[in-house]
Amino acid sequence: MKTEALIEALAADTKIERPILGTLVLWLVPAIALAAMAIHLILGFRDDLLMSLFTPLSVMRFALTAALGLIGVRLALLLARPEGRGLARLWPLAAVAAVALGLLVWAYFATPAGGRQMALVGKTMVTCLVTIPLLSILPVTAILMSMRNGATTAPALAGFVAGVAGSGFASMVYAMHCTEDSPLFYVTWYGIAIMMVAVVSTLIGSRVLRW
Amino acid sequence: MDDWGDLLVAANSGDGRAYARFLRTVTPVLRGVVRAKGASLGEAACEDVLQEVLLAVHLKRHTWQVGAPVRPWLYAIARYKVVDAFRARGRAIELPIEDFSDVLAADAGPDPTEAADMAKMIAMLDDRSARIVQMIGMEGANTAEVGQALKMTEGAVRVALHRAFKALAALRERYVK
Repeated sequence: MKTEALIEALAADTKIERPILGTLVLWLVPAIALAAMAIHLILGFRDDLLMSLFTPLSVMRFALTAALGLIGVRLALLLARPEGRGLARLWPLAAVAAVALGLLVWAYFATPAGGRQMALVGKTMVTCLVTIPLLSILPVTAILMSMRNGATTAPALAGFVAGVAGSGFASMVYAMHCTEDSPLFYVTWYGIAIMMVAVVSTLIGSRVLRW
Repeated sequence: MDDWGDLLVAANSGDGRAYARFLRTVTPVLRGVVRAKGASLGEAACEDVLQEVLLAVHLKRHTWQVGAPVRPWLYAIARYKVVDAFRARGRAIELPIEDFSDVLAADAGPDPTEAADMAKMIAMLDDRSARIVQMIGMEGANTAEVGQALKMTEGAVRVALHRAFKALAALRERYVK
């Protein structure tokens, strides 16, 4: 086939795919809503959810995880563009991680020596490490699916930010159930859960985001 | 550069003629890129790779953001697909981005090379899709005429054409790996 013939045929195809932002919103919003509904129906929201919104240390859980989610989605949208690899800056994610670690260090010194062990391990470590990855499945899948419609030239990195964003939102949803308000607990275990999801998503991304 | 952007804006809002002009404008530049990198493959194989790049540009044109410079976007697609295509042909190549700015545009020449891969892949499509692509590409029919010939509505022809290109890209992936 001559290239001119191909151009003729291509030019006749005026159907164009939906922009990534539209696809992403369409998939991600219901994914997060379903995750929230699952938490509500299966584990239940914490009884003092409203009260907890006035406790700064508890609110920080929402703030940090939502920040990971939003920054991650922004990066995912950027990386979905072919030239995005050169434009994406990862430092905002690192900044959130730094704030979280700062909070962890602060909590270490603010917690009496006798209570540190208890605050760190908490009562729900296993639930946390199991539930956050499970809740991440829908949001991470939603982000990866919409990115498949894009054209990333950095599939592994794109998979990583999809994992961070999706598990960030999943942790935010989980925080509505979880009553462990000590940063010693949530920075550690939410953090580990998010990292686990990010690693898996990196591996998935490097396969499914090729085109 | 700005006129590339204008053409692409018009193309992405459904103006087929602007889109054809855009593709014709960027094709020599892309051909130059492919030939500069893959001279050892020979002209015919380079034309195959060029067509893969054009198909990718086509299916990913919604990832260009209005207002963003066209060149970095186009070169990123070209780079990704050229590396991929050469890897598939058993040659690893390094493609620094800055290389692209000084590549000379290449015309097809008086007797344009017939690339073989695309025709082979079109033959692997279902009969009707293959026929639609051939009628429009090689016989110069428009979608309305194809519709009449194949007893389909024009809308159905457009949908089938779009699906055919997506199928071609998917076939290429399989055929390459």
